[in-house]
Amino acid sequence: YDLNSTEEERDSIRQQKQKEYENLRRQCREIHRRNENGSDSKQTAQSSNTEDSQVLDSHDIEQVSSSTRSIQVEESEKLNSESIRQDGDCEKSGVTSEDDANDSDSTNSEETETSPLLAEEEAERHGKVNQEKDTQSPSSKPKFQAEEEFNTIWQRIIRLDAVRANDEWVPYSPSQAGVSDTKARGIATQVGLTDYEDLEPCRILHAARLVAILEAYAVYDPEIGYCQGMSDLLSPILAVIEDDAFAFWCFVGFMSKARHNFRLDEVGIRRQLSMVSKIIKYKDIRLYRHLENLEAEDCFFVYRMVVVMFRRELTFEQTLCLWEVMWADQAAIRTGIAKATWGRIRLRAPPTEDLLLYAIAASVLQRRKTIIEKYSGMDEIMKECNSMAGRLDVWKLLDDAHDLVVNLHDKI
Amino acid sequence: MGSSSGQPEFDYLFKVLLIGDSGVGKSSLLLSFTSNTFDDLSPTIGVDFKVKYLTIGEKKLKLAIWDTAGQERFRTLTSSYYRGAQGIIMVYDVTRRETFTNLSDIWAKEIDLYSTNQDCIKMLVGNKVDKESERAVSKKEGIDFARVYGCLFLECSAKTRVNVEQCFEELVLKILETPSLTAEGSSGGKKNIFKQNPAHTSNASSSYCCSS
Repeated sequence: YDLNSTEEERDSIRQQKQKEYENLRRQCREIHRRNENGSDSKQTAQSSNTEDSQVLDSHDIEQVSSSTRSIQVEESEKLNSESIRQDGDCEKSGVTSEDDANDSDSTNSEETETSPLLAEEEAERHGKVNQEKDTQSPSSKPKFQAEEEFNTIWQRIIRLDAVRANDEWVPYSPSQAGVSDTKARGIATQVGLTDYEDLEPCRILHAARLVAILEAYAVYDPEIGYCQGMSDLLSPILAVIEDDAFAFWCFVGFMSKARHNFRLDEVGIRRQLSMVSKIIKYKDIRLYRHLENLEAEDCFFVYRMVVVMFRRELTFEQTLCLWEVMWADQAAIRTGIAKATWGRIRLRAPPTEDLLLYAIAASVLQRRKTIIEKYSGMDEIMKECNSMAGRLDVWKLLDDAHDLVVNLHDKI
Repeated sequence: MGSSSGQPEFDYLFKVLLIGDSGVGKSSLLLSFTSNTFDDLSPTIGVDFKVKYLTIGEKKLKLAIWDTAGQERFRTLTSSYYRGAQGIIMVYDVTRRETFTNLSDIWAKEIDLYSTNQDCIKMLVGNKVDKESERAVSKKEGIDFARVYGCLFLECSAKTRVNVEQCFEELVLKILETPSLTAEGSSGGKKNIFKQNPAHTSNASSSYCCSS
């Protein structure tokens, strides 16, 4: 929101964003339904009519439940600085004119892409032009199939990963942890999640919400779609924000930067890794030379840390802490706090877009002695990095990262 | 000294790679093998790496096992890990047919493209046999596939640990039977400089080939 916005303006933005999200969810359901129908989709107009009304019903339910949830969120917001900051974070990115343009661009392209499908659905819904449809479908089918193939792959992996999401968040969201079995299963059914075996209700709920939002994101950002690791990034957001639409737009804000790590061409991730490499090189040439000798100076051993932003290495609480400091830095940059201001406060680290990368470099540098003295292969370093889980002190990490920023931000 | 300090010395170091679709249980299989536990694990991001020491016959082996992410998105990254592998395990889920068909459509081609070891031993593993009622790929299909692609074959369950150790052991036995691979494993790797008794190793390797 704009800082000077009125309550009505904020409400209307919120409603509009809610609608956009509902729209994305509807597209997901339609894609999912078409997949499920598959080849035996040649049903009578009547049966597709009843099915449609069912879908609409569940859609209404989803809307109602999420609007009641949003009230809860508003209350908890006052208490919960975390969600406020996240709100500010994602709303800001949504409100700046540049991002707005992007948003509307992508939604527009979405609409044009899916509009033939929607049109077909509409026609089926009315059940009047069945014969015409049948004659049309052979020519239009291949294109749809290609699209659907993508969607089925994403949808399948999303469900797979959602069910595998860990339950570290549970103590931090008692209201979601205490969800009833019936309600959790109901919500899972709405998103077409069935294969959850014997999970506890709260994990079913969490998995269902992951599916709903990740699918919506895949439709919203088809270039990225879904990539493993994204569920790690979304899971903590879901724990703090109980409203799906809200959580979705926060995720979009989060992904506006993180999405580059998931690009197929690996340009984003490679840039990040080379930045970590550079930080190590400037800070500790001896360690860097050692890495060079092991042909590990590309820093691929921190790949996972970059992609899921320390989520696997830190506990739930530590992760939120690190991410918030990271977001605070990025927010400070967006609000235009100039470097000059920091220049006057000597010895303090200026805000940086890349705090995460400094933190990653710091975690490697903390182990420099072991790496130099004991490790003689990239595999051993990777093993060390992938087993940092539970052994990191997030405050020490941030202190070290800030020291690196102070020393190096001019050089890099 | 290296990481082998404090660890038992070893006669051979073999590099093994796990590949296959997302969610077939590669990481679970590895965990089941290396630490005798089972867990529903988070998806692997990029690659992970584990070490297991084995003793087969009189030979002490160090297995460096690379566990790769299944999603297509990570394939450019994981492709570089095929280099120098002496063994590749292709995993599918016996309850999900597409994970089996993708082995011939996708994964076997990846091996052809990226594996640098001509004699590299391949192994086909059908995981999740504990879900017998949901089985979608028959054992015979697995056997046929293995015959066509010239690889070993086993069905296992990371959950019940049925056949888990056998998967790795059979693979290793086959590697030990292949002179070009044992030569690499005992002298090609960087680690061999840490070996205490190289003479003993070369002796043993030839005798082992005969005995197996």
